Amino acid sequence: MSESELTMATGHEVLMEASPYHIEKKKLGMWVFIVSDACTFATFLFGYGYMRVGSQNWGTLFEFSSILNGIIMTFVLLSSSLTMLAAVRATQAGQKASANKWLGLTMLLGTVFAILHLREWVKMIGEGWRLFYNPMGGAAQFGACFFSVTGLHLTHVISGVIALGFVARGYNQGRYDESHVETAGLYWHFVDLVWMFVFPLMYLMNAR
Amino acid sequence: MSSNEELGMGSYVGIVIGLMIIVVIEVVLTYQHLPVRTLLFSLLCLACLEAFVGIMYLMHVKYESRLLFWTIFPATLFVLVMLNYLWPDAYRMARMSLGK
Repeated sequence: MSESELTMATGHEVLMEASPYHIEKKKLGMWVFIVSDACTFATFLFGYGYMRVGSQNWGTLFEFSSILNGIIMTFVLLSSSLTMLAAVRATQAGQKASANKWLGLTMLLGTVFAILHLREWVKMIGEGWRLFYNPMGGAAQFGACFFSVTGLHLTHVISGVIALGFVARGYNQGRYDESHVETAGLYWHFVDLVWMFVFPLMYLMNAR
Repeated sequence: MSSNEELGMGSYVGIVIGLMIIVVIEVVLTYQHLPVRTLLFSLLCLACLEAFVGIMYLMHVKYESRLLFWTIFPATLFVLVMLNYLWPDAYRMARMSLGK
């Protein structure tokens, strides 16, 4: 559109160009956040890799019970992605009751994941693990790596559960529509996919 | 969603079950007592596969504008590749701790 055409235009909608990505601004904003957050997690994981490669006495730390707990956590999180997809589908179909059910289930699964994760933390702290102390006599940095990486992820899960609660409430009150639920879903899937790297690198690579 | 070609819920259930199977494969590989580098490479490949499937299908990038894909992924990949600059120093630390 030429400058003169823009000057002659009367409505604001005429002056606004369509997004080149053909998606809503909030969704694009979420993608920008996801990219930056992915880089944050990558930095943490690379830092962990750096310390692990640079340490000669890293050791193998997790017994099968911890790995099993990790497997259950992974399955719970993957299932929550499915329930989130169902919630998005229900909002797109205008099925409010169904959307509420699936959003509630997603929040429940996120809460179960957080509880399982905190249980693992409590167990490790009870065994004497601290940020800079390894009770098994290996590399002291493992505690810092494990608690910071999994703690960052756990913070994301808890934030996600709270955010989903706000979105569900707003959706029920009519303040939010299906695009808000879809954008929240993007975040939830991202948190799920980050765990697909955290679990093998933090748990499986340290299995006995 | 920007496309009508989206999958049905049944397909999504299949994708999530597939991701769970990959997790089981990762665990099985872990207990094969492979050399650390082989295990790390295998686990990273499987994790990247999971991430790719998740991004394309669960996060619907497959159904969005291609411009979104080409805006986001090369830049992110570039950052991830650049982060690899630290490995030589990690190996230097390992050699130092061995007294070499």
